[in-house]
Amino acid sequence: MRAIDVMRRAARNLRQAKGRTILTSLAIGVGAFTLTLSLAAGEGAREYADNLLKNNIDPQALFIVKDKSVTSTDAGNGIREYSDDLSSTSAASGRGVAIQTMTNDDIVKLRSRNDLSQVIPIYSLTAKYVVFAGNSKKYYTPLTYYDATTVSDVVAGSLPSLGNQINDNEILVPEQYLETLSLSAQDLVGKTVTITVSQSVATPSQDEIQQAFLNGGNTAVEELVKPKTKDFTYTVRAILKKPTLAIASNPRLHVSTNAAAELYSYSTKGSSNEDKFIGVTALAKGDPTKAKDDIQNSLGYSVQTAKDAQGLLFTFVNILQGIVAGFAGLALIASVFGIINTQYISVLERTSQIGLMKALGMRRRDIAKLFRYEAGWIGFLGGLVGVGLALLLGFLANPWITKTLDLSGQSLLVFVWWQILVLIVSLVIVAIIAGWFPARKAARLDPIEALRTE
Amino acid sequence: MIELKAVSKVYGKKKNTFSALRDVSVIIPDGASVAVVGKSGSGKSTMMHIMSGLDHATSGQVVIDGDDIVTFKPRKVDKFRSETMSFIFQSFFVQGNESCYNNVSLPLEIARVPLRRRKAMIERALAAVGLEEKKRSRARDLSGGQKQRLAIARAIVNDPKILFADEPTGNLDSVTGEAIEKLLFEYNKKQGATLIVVTHDEDLANKCDMQVHIKDGQIASINTRQEITNQTQPLTTRPLSRGKVML
Repeated sequence: MRAIDVMRRAARNLRQAKGRTILTSLAIGVGAFTLTLSLAAGEGAREYADNLLKNNIDPQALFIVKDKSVTSTDAGNGIREYSDDLSSTSAASGRGVAIQTMTNDDIVKLRSRNDLSQVIPIYSLTAKYVVFAGNSKKYYTPLTYYDATTVSDVVAGSLPSLGNQINDNEILVPEQYLETLSLSAQDLVGKTVTITVSQSVATPSQDEIQQAFLNGGNTAVEELVKPKTKDFTYTVRAILKKPTLAIASNPRLHVSTNAAAELYSYSTKGSSNEDKFIGVTALAKGDPTKAKDDIQNSLGYSVQTAKDAQGLLFTFVNILQGIVAGFAGLALIASVFGIINTQYISVLERTSQIGLMKALGMRRRDIAKLFRYEAGWIGFLGGLVGVGLALLLGFLANPWITKTLDLSGQSLLVFVWWQILVLIVSLVIVAIIAGWFPARKAARLDPIEALRTE
Repeated sequence: MIELKAVSKVYGKKKNTFSALRDVSVIIPDGASVAVVGKSGSGKSTMMHIMSGLDHATSGQVVIDGDDIVTFKPRKVDKFRSETMSFIFQSFFVQGNESCYNNVSLPLEIARVPLRRRKAMIERALAAVGLEEKKRSRARDLSGGQKQRLAIARAIVNDPKILFADEPTGNLDSVTGEAIEKLLFEYNKKQGATLIVVTHDEDLANKCDMQVHIKDGQIASINTRQEITNQTQPLTTRPLSRGKVML
């Protein structure tokens, strides 16, 4: 029997058992639906992550740290040999463990390199409170420094051209603060912002306390142990528009790198973190990967490129996608048993028909092929149903997801035609494999016994 | 010509054996109509199955047109069957959900007849049994007689040289049965095909050129038409354990 005849007859046989075919196809369709969505979501997430990095990280950017544990996912066992450049500031590392920090010497070394530009230490800035002119309340806000290498939009005021820093007495305020401050963007531009910073106080020695007491009595001692604060005042240069694709969703005040250095220097003065930095950001002048390798080999620092950051994000997306695909795989396994069951019933129901086909000279392999093709058709139909529903859901839900998650036109579910094609072909193959045993049973039926079956 | 040479068929193993056929020999000339007659369990169906290659003889030879089909490999037997012979059964075995056209198409598909030749062959077969108007109808919508006519159309579509009919009128009333018989003998005469009918129906058996009586797995007698038509008394049989009759 020709393959095309077997295929057509298989399709007709399924059409004649519509209810059973649809139900079995739906079972495989559930798996196909979930797999299609997980593939689309994975693709969408990767595309989103890609755009996110393109919008937020200069491809030439390098993140350089002295302590490899900062860029490693391995938390270690918590114990390590002491050295003077170890910092235990949990706020700085964000890990609550001691890390090997960079010193000014390290910064100088990096700034002297020909393959790097814009070497800026990472300042961990913390304000005690902030006061906005025109508003008497004190606020807590996170602080950071302005990255001149990325493009930012403003709703009021202006920014310097790309690559240039804002002035040291200027500050940028995120749009999201306006509602809390009850001020319009235009009103806030030109106003002053005062940042009050606390200075970490090193515990005074007994000699220092005695000396203070001798000099000024209790008042002098209280002054010695009292935390010091200092106000730094800036003028609002611009109001930053809420970024449409932002890695960090929390809005911050932005000062210049010099102002950040000043704030950091004041806040860490006298503490164990004075003149110590987690690491630096820099721009590679040439190939970032080459610069990374050179720095790692010559200085032993740990370096991450923008591509490495992308890889990390993609790994995260892939893991999530793998979990969802795993569940879809379970659904598919369940549907495979559905196909086996359906086909076994079909063999039982059509025993006399199989007997007739054998009597008419149909070969065993053609009979097996007929049942395998029927299973393949079920897989194909299930694939079409699942993929179709996923496409429909994507079409309907994408605008809503984009709006709800504020993805600025980016679709979360991105369907790739070749992935869908591979998925459907795979489902057909899985279904054919599932139909293997019932097909074998049909092929092995004794024609005489089969013809005796009513 | 079909020749059975000392064919035996034993079912089961060791102590639980049953001899369905014992040392059966018979020669059936080309174009003959033969009735295989006997009681239930006498071995007539087994004989038909062995003659058609559906079952294997335990011993002996089944020679069709000079080839011993017992020696054929399963694949060759299938091919031989699809090109040489066809079947009609008491239960029709039509595929109810398929159209008449697709039912008749089955043997052509099995025999790998090219698609371009099929339509004419199917229409000719349906016309031969008077079902040309029903070619798009579903088989399940046909009456019993129409179903058997459809089964005949399916059996003759490929112009088989040998047509096996197992109780072809067993499920039909006498009028419909006669019409079916007429179709079978028409095909036998017009096409020169060998018709082998397994039946209990004496009237049907009497219309055949030759009667092979089976009893307890052995040939009890073989009668030619001449012997049948010349009889004045009820049919007498002559015992023939290894009977061979040429018409």
